[in-house]
Formats: sequence, structure tokens, C-alpha cells
Amino acid sequence: MTWGTPGIAAIVAGIAVPALVILYFLKLRRRTVEVSTTLLWRQAIQDLQANAPFQKLRRNILLLLQLLVLGAALFAVAQPRVESDQAVGERHIILIDRSASMAATDDDGGRTRLERAKAAATDIVENLREGTLFRRERADEAMVIAFDASSEIVSQFSSDKVALKAAIDSIRQTDAPSAIGEAFRLAQAQRPTRVITDNAGGQTAGDPMEVEGLVGGVPHVFHLLSDGRLSGVEKVRPESQDQFLYYAVGEPDAVNVGITGLRAERGYEDPVELTVFVGLQSTDTERRTVDVELLLDGAPAAIKEVALPPASPDGGAEAAPATSGVVFQLGQPGGTLVGVRLRTDAADALLADNEGYLVVPPARQTGVAVVTRGNLFISEALSGMPLSVLDTFTPEEFEAARAAGDVDRYDVVVLDGWLPPPDAGGRSLPPGRWLVMNAVPGPPLGVDDAGPAGPTAIIDWSRVHPVLRDVTLDPLRIGRSRLVTVPAESTAITLAESDLGPAILELSSADVRAIMVPFDVAETNWPFDVGFVVFLASAIDYLGKDATAAAELGGASRQFRPGHVLTARLPQSAADVRLLPPGGLDRVPLVPAPDGAVVFGPLRQRGVYEIAWRGPAGPTDVTEGTRVSRFYAANLLNPEESAIGARSTLGLANVVVQAAGVGSTTTIRNYWPHLLLAALAVMMIEWFVYNKKVHV
Amino acid sequence: MLKTENPTRPASIDQLLDARLIAQILRLDLTSRKIFAGKLKGERRSKKRGESVEFADHRPYVTGDDLRHIDWNIYARLDRFFMKLFLEEEDLSLHIVLDASGSEDCGTPNKFLYMQQLAMAMGYVGLVNLNRVAITTLGGRMRTPEAEDGPRVPQGLDDAEPVTHQIRDLRGRRRVQDLARFICAVEPEGDSSFGACAKRIALSRRGRGIMLVLSDFFMKEGYEDGLRLLVGRGYDVFAIQILSPQETDPAGPDGIAGDLRLRDVEDADLADVTVSAPLLKKYKQTLAAYCTGLRDFCARRDMGSLTVRSDTPIETLILDYLRQRGVLR
Repeated sequence: MTWGTPGIAAIVAGIAVPALVILYFLKLRRRTVEVSTTLLWRQAIQDLQANAPFQKLRRNILLLLQLLVLGAALFAVAQPRVESDQAVGERHIILIDRSASMAATDDDGGRTRLERAKAAATDIVENLREGTLFRRERADEAMVIAFDASSEIVSQFSSDKVALKAAIDSIRQTDAPSAIGEAFRLAQAQRPTRVITDNAGGQTAGDPMEVEGLVGGVPHVFHLLSDGRLSGVEKVRPESQDQFLYYAVGEPDAVNVGITGLRAERGYEDPVELTVFVGLQSTDTERRTVDVELLLDGAPAAIKEVALPPASPDGGAEAAPATSGVVFQLGQPGGTLVGVRLRTDAADALLADNEGYLVVPPARQTGVAVVTRGNLFISEALSGMPLSVLDTFTPEEFEAARAAGDVDRYDVVVLDGWLPPPDAGGRSLPPGRWLVMNAVPGPPLGVDDAGPAGPTAIIDWSRVHPVLRDVTLDPLRIGRSRLVTVPAESTAITLAESDLGPAILELSSADVRAIMVPFDVAETNWPFDVGFVVFLASAIDYLGKDATAAAELGGASRQFRPGHVLTARLPQSAADVRLLPPGGLDRVPLVPAPDGAVVFGPLRQRGVYEIAWRGPAGPTDVTEGTRVSRFYAANLLNPEESAIGARSTLGLANVVVQAAGVGSTTTIRNYWPHLLLAALAVMMIEWFVYNKKVHV
Repeated sequence: MLKTENPTRPASIDQLLDARLIAQILRLDLTSRKIFAGKLKGERRSKKRGESVEFADHRPYVTGDDLRHIDWNIYARLDRFFMKLFLEEEDLSLHIVLDASGSEDCGTPNKFLYMQQLAMAMGYVGLVNLNRVAITTLGGRMRTPEAEDGPRVPQGLDDAEPVTHQIRDLRGRRRVQDLARFICAVEPEGDSSFGACAKRIALSRRGRGIMLVLSDFFMKEGYEDGLRLLVGRGYDVFAIQILSPQETDPAGPDGIAGDLRLRDVEDADLADVTVSAPLLKKYKQTLAAYCTGLRDFCARRDMGSLTVRSDTPIETLILDYLRQRGVLR
């Protein structure tokens, strides 16, 4: 047995029961009258009492009866329910959109669309038929699914209206975009698959057969509460026996201006120069002027006025949003948190898309060391690149510097015809980033050296790899090649292949990454080709920034969308990892995987997420005492969500659904609980009045 | 039953006895089943020969007889002295014991007023018939202490000492006003402590006569000891129990109903009752048993007794009931 409103019943009981008992234990109010003598009365009373049964019990029985009545009323107030196997009536599936656009406040009352949708969903639940006390008809059941980019079953099929309403009430706004496909699939997954039994022509029934995509069960009624700004609508295919109702929440002509694009880039030549691109969108049919404010680490840094053209109607009632953009350019060598804020005085229904954040790591260039006995081509080619450091060592000097621990400032080391001696663990390359030329590191990391070979040419190369995608190796002629074979257990990847075997390889392990060119470029025509310089630059760039680090410098890996999962790779020894959501006070502890990866999400809110840990800091991290922090930004940046005009029709896969509107449904309300409470109150008043009369 | 709110307190004889009643009771005289010898010559035919106007007999004159009583007519005819003997007429003591405890000041009509009227009527009868009349209260309070006459009963300093007020040795029509003044001055109050008062009265009374005890006889300590003390020593005791209509029928007019806390006007004793049919029935049974007990007690000790309701017309009581019972004739 469950209780619908145990709290109210407990409060009422807390007041009523003690009150009743106290009233009962009051003494009877007797009118005092003076009589000539009490002599005869006393005798009469004594005689009467001596003969009357249940002297003590008489008043207590009355109290007991009162308490029983009170108890029954209180139990009724608590609304006890017993789950029964009663057959169900209609099945309703309530799909509630909780995406970012549902936060728009285009209602007169200032309610958000989600609040209106929840109120409408509550009405739907109220209107479900329920098995009544005296007529055991079938009770309707409903399931509640909340969705944005992902979807969640808030309440399974239930006829418990109180539980359903509580589930609806528990739905929270998110800043994620909306996609209905998953929610619909989730709803369909609840239904049994239709089983087809082939017994055509035979007396005996054939084997039952389930057909993919065909579902059975009682017809469902889908209630979609959304503003229609959904993706994946065209894939929703309700069954023919199902009913699909769409309640459009929000106004079709709602006005919104928002940020739909945000990106920061550092100049390639001058990484100090930071460019922030802001894309804007307006659904206002009037020309609008908005102020775009740029904040660096929360402090306003620049403000620009942007004129937004009027949105143009695209044939229907719906206006195609007007777009515009603004660019900020500033010199920012350090890492920063770029915030963009939209300020407007005119109507703006959705506030969630008026802000955006970017995490920009500090400007950084690669330091390169060349270890060579003298190779003009390499040194000359590298000298033209925008590098922070370029030093040339002889192998002996490099070994000495490495022993002194003085090589940390070099991101990439170019080894020309020389390899460091294998260390105690037998590794042919120490941890680091290497461009190995004219040398072959051996297994386990490297490849087997099969000695010099004759002339050859490149016949194939990976055109999508960052190192080789910008070059063509067709003109390359190798005078004296070197034969290498890749062992089966090796992780080496062949990037370019000659007719004699692998010509350019990439070696990688957890802490080593290397591009290997086994042949001597001096024996080729490559140094005279422009491709050689491009290759060197690409290889240095690739190795120096690493695949993920390169993206990180552009800030791409620090940007997420609400609804996505935040993934980050922390230093391996990071401990006590906690995540602070935007505006949150409670830090969420995260447990990193052995390789330092942490996962959080899906993200529900836009804003700045901070991951803090104790341990070593990455190159772009903020260190404060013993704690290291890294920031991530989640932005809405969704033109579909920012165009918030509610759609009046939804084109499903097999049917076009007209919006039913919200608030037009008739509502059945049960007033008996209120009457019961009133009866209880009247009973208490009656008792109070009675006791006031007869008790002191 | 209930204590009378603002009870009527008579101020003069007119309020106690109306003229019609006086006319009726003028014809009456006290009587007693026992003929007692009085101290003074009264209007009562005594067993003794005396000096009344009523001729009884003749006897021969002997030396020393009063010459005034020689029947001169017989001397003229027979030439011998004969004494005329007359029946001696003696006075009779009428002692009215008036219970002036608080419990009497109850009921509608007021019990005490009824007792005052009865006492006045009886006293009037006694006085006009040249009897000695005395009234003693049990308890009560004198509104005007000077109304008290005769030797004052010493009032003890001790609280336990019974309170009585008394007027006595009234004789003759002239004293009617004194009697009325005394009766009117008495106000019922407090406890009567009947036993102690009775003892005092028994010790202090003189002569012989009739003693009327007017009370409701609702005495917590019992009436038996008191009555036992009063009876005998030459007095013909007659107990008149006066009850209010509400006491005999609590559910009647001006009665009680509901959840009540009854407070005894004398000792403030409290009794919580819820008036119900079974309780009323039980009460009436108890009351009947009580009255029967009083009557039986009196009958065993050769006392007259009468239970009367305070709404009984006083004429009926005097002219019918008391004459029937031989108190008056």
C-alpha cells in the first residue's frame, strides 16, 4: 500500500488527534446550582452507580469511537492506494521537451514554456480515467518521458496520478538541443513486438514470428509537449492505430536574438593575436541593434554594436531567422576564459543563448632541437618556421644536455642519423616527441632494420594524415633507400610506402610519439622539393602539439554542447578530481580512468565547467596552490534552438500533425479530498463547540 | 430544591397572615392529645378545678375557703354554705421550633416563608387563646437583634456552639406584634446542627405543652438524636416536614436538568449529577424512603408527623391537616 499525500495527513493528524484527546480529557462543564441539600442526591447517585455497568468505560468508548472516525478520515486524507492487477484502459505517453528553447518566456504570465508544458501535462494526467470506487472500469495509464538531446523515462506506465504528477514536476530545464527520435524510440521500446503466427492453410498453428519494427499492444496515445523546434521529427513514425497529439507550447512569433556561433582562433604567425568570431541570429521581423560584450576572465574587454537585419518570412507564417556576426580581435598571450554576452533592451524570449564562453589556452610555439652531425637541409628548412626555440646539437652535446635535464623546453627533437643509446628498459626511444631521420629505432617500439636497398619511389601515402595531407610525394625519388619491416606486435603505422616497403612511419606508445623517415634525405631529391619543407613543418607541428593538444590550442576540445558528454584527459597521477558545474556549489567527485580520462555528463547546463585535481598540471592548466584547474565551456550555439518560434505543425514520417494548443483541454478535478478536509475541520469545530458548552 | 433567588422576606404580620386567614383561625384553639398542667390559669380546661367561669361542681364550704366562691343562691334556699367549684382553665405552652438553616431558604414557593407563615398562624392561635408561646430557631440569623425577647440563650464563643434564637413566654393578644416582629427578623442561614440545638432547647424549656418542629429534616447528621431529645418531659412533639415542590419532583417546573454540579447551601458539599430518568426515579425512591423513615420514627416515639409541600395553601394545612391530626381544634 502506498500513500498519496502522507505529509498532509500527518500534519492534519498532528493537529486533530491531540486536539480531540485534549478536548476529551477536559472536565465536563457542569452548571453549579445551589440546592437545599445534597443528601438525597448522593444516595441516589451511589445507588445508581453501584447498579450501572461499565462505569469507567462509558466515556472512553465515546472517545474511542471519535478516534476511529478521525482515523478513518485521516487515512482518507492520506489517500492510500493499493496496486492491483486491474486491467488497464488507454495508454498515454507524454513526451515533454525540456530543451533550451523551452526556457523561453513568451507567455504573458512570465512562465517558461517548460512550465506551461508541465502544467498541460498535469492536465492530461488529471484527465486520465481512473478506476472509481463504485464502478471498476479500466484505469488509464500514462508514461512520462522527458527529452532534450537525450531522453529519460521520468515515470513508467502508471495509473497513479499523484506519482505521475510528481514525475512531471520533477522535470528540470536543460540547455541541450532537442531531438525527439530517441524519446520516441524509447516509448516504442516499451511496447511488445507484434507476434505473427502463420497458420495459413494448415490445421496446426505455425511458429509465432516476431517482425522487426512491428509493435503490438493496445493503441497508444502520444502527447508531445514541445515548441516544435525538434530534430529527428521526420523519423518519428507512429503506428497507424496510435494517436499522436502535438501540443504547441509557445508563440509562433516569439522574438529572440541569440548567439549561434562562437569560435576563437590564434594567429598562426603571431599566436598572441586572438580572434573571436561571434555568430548572431534574430527572429525579430524588425531591424534590431544589439550590444555584444566581450569578457575576458569575467571582466568586460570590448563591446560592439551589431545591427541585425529583420527576419524574412519564408513563405509561411514562420520567419527565417536573420543572421549576422561580429569579430573581436585582441592581443592575448595567456590562457583566458572568453565570454560573449548579448545585451538588448527589446524583447528577447530566450536568455539561454545570450551568453557563450570559450576556453582559450595560452599562446604557445614549439621548441625544436636538432641533433645532427651536420645536415644543411634540415637546419635550413626549420629556420623558416615560427618556432620559439631552434637549437642544433651534436649527439654528444645532446647527451650531455639530456643528462643535465636541460632538454625539457624542446617539444620535438629531430634526430638525424643518430639514436640515443637504449635505456635500461631496452626502449629504443626515450619518452618524448621525435622526428627520426636516417635511423631506425628497433623493437619493441620501432621496426626491424633490414639494411640498405636500392633506388625506389613512393607509390602510396596516407593523404589524410596531418603530416602528409598537405604534400605530394609523387616527385620524390629515393636514390638509396633503407629496407624496414614492421613486426606484427609493433604499433608502427606506415604513412608512406615505396615499392620496397614502408618509407615513412609513425611510432607511438603511451609516452613516445615519433615520425620516422628511415632513408637519408641527402640521397634523394626531396630537399629540393617544396614538399620537404611542408613535410617538416607538418611533422613538427603534429608532433609538437600532439593530435589532441593541437585541437586544444584552438580551444576545440574545451568546447562542449549541452547534451553532450564532457570528456577530458588529465595527467595520469591526478588525484582528488572534482568537477564544479556552472553556478553550482557542490563539486562532483570524478574517478579518472587509469589513463587519466574522466567523463561527466551528459551536460545539462550551459556555462563554464571546472575540473580541479591535485597533481601535475598540463601546459595549459591553471595552478593554484596544490590544486590544478582546467576549464571547459558548454554553449548552446544552436540555430534551431535559438529560432524559438513555436511550430504549428509537425511533419512526422507518415503524418503531419497539427498543433492542438495548450490549455484548451477540459479538466476533471476531484474535489472530494477538499470536501473531506472540510468535513474534518467541521468535525473538529463541532467538537470544540460542544466541549466549550459542556466542559470547563 | 434550588436556593430561592431574592426570597420574599416578610416585614410585618400583614405579610405573614392575611385577614381572611386570621378570621378563620380565630375560631381555633390548640389542643393536645395530652392535657398538661400549666403554670398560669389559662383558657384551657384543666383536670384541676379552678377559677374559670365554667361550673364544675359544688362542695360543702370548709373553713378557709374563699368567700367569693360561696354559692349564695344555694345558701338562700338551703341556708348552708356551698362552694361553687369551677373547672380550672390552664395555659398551654406552644413551643415552635423553626429550622432557620440555609436549606430552608430554598424552593418555589420558599420553604422558609411557608414556615414563617405557619409559625405565625400557630403562634397567633396560641396567643389569642392565652397560651404561652415560645419560638426557637435552629440556626439562622436575626436581622434586628432587638426583636429577640426574653432571656437570651447564651451564645457560645465557640463556633461549634449551636446557634439558636429564641423568644418566649409570650402570652395574650398583645404580644402578637412581638411574635410577628421576631418571626420576620429571622433569616435562614448556615447550618442548623439540629442535635446540639435540640439538646439546648430540651434543657432550657419549661412547663408542658405542644412543640411544633418545622423543618425539612434534611440533616446530614440525622434528625433522630434531636427529635429523641425533644420528645418527652411533658411535651407533645409534632414534626412538620416542609418540602418544596422541586424537592419532591426535581424534573417539574423550576426544577433541574442537564449536567449539573449541585452545591449544598449549608456545607458547600458538591455533587456532580447528570439528571436522567433513572436518576430521577432513584431520587424519588430515596426521598420517599426518607420521608417514610421520618414518619415511622415519629410514630414509634409517639410524635405526630406531617409532610407538607410548600405550595400547599396554608389554610388547607391549618384548617384541615393540623385539625385532622389533633393539633388544633
